[in-house]
Amino acid sequence: MVIIPATTGQMGVLPGHVATIAELKPGVLSVHEGNDVKKYFVSSGFAFIHANSYADIIAVEAVPVDQIDSAAVQKGLADFTQKLNTATTDLEKAEAQIGIDVHSALNAAITG
Amino acid sequence: MASNAAVPFWRAAGMTYITYSNICANLVRNCLKEPHKSEVISREKVHFAFSVWKEGKPLKPVTRSDSPQE
Repeated sequence: MVIIPATTGQMGVLPGHVATIAELKPGVLSVHEGNDVKKYFVSSGFAFIHANSYADIIAVEAVPVDQIDSAAVQKGLADFTQKLNTATTDLEKAEAQIGIDVHSALNAAITG
Repeated sequence: MASNAAVPFWRAAGMTYITYSNICANLVRNCLKEPHKSEVISREKVHFAFSVWKEGKPLKPVTRSDSPQE
């Protein structure tokens, strides 16, 4: 079973899942094989679940969760929270919000 | 008959999906432990040259690069 971080929420995918295209949000993708779980953090992207029970995950960056540096995540979260407060244009606010979303998701990945 | 469903905040601010996705990827790359971080940090770098065309002929090419000029 694979749990994918879709924008509509955590989605569990088992063999036989209906064919689906899901947009992903920054978050943890976990692959469960029996009792073995492998967790990856995906930066964003898409998941294609095919009718023959194959699934493709398309992401610009996907890293094993144990490669994430906790100190960098905390610093990033603080920096972007600060940037959101000082942002003026819509674009600056959007960039700051993206920073907060990604770092919050990274934080949840390493503490979860 | 366009839908009025909520658009993501980044699109409402004028950003395209590709820009959003690349920003997310960069943020993730910057939060990695060494040695992984050094291996991937160069993925963000771009190096390209382009020319504006006028009257069927290219003008002088302009080079954009993140790497230091040799």
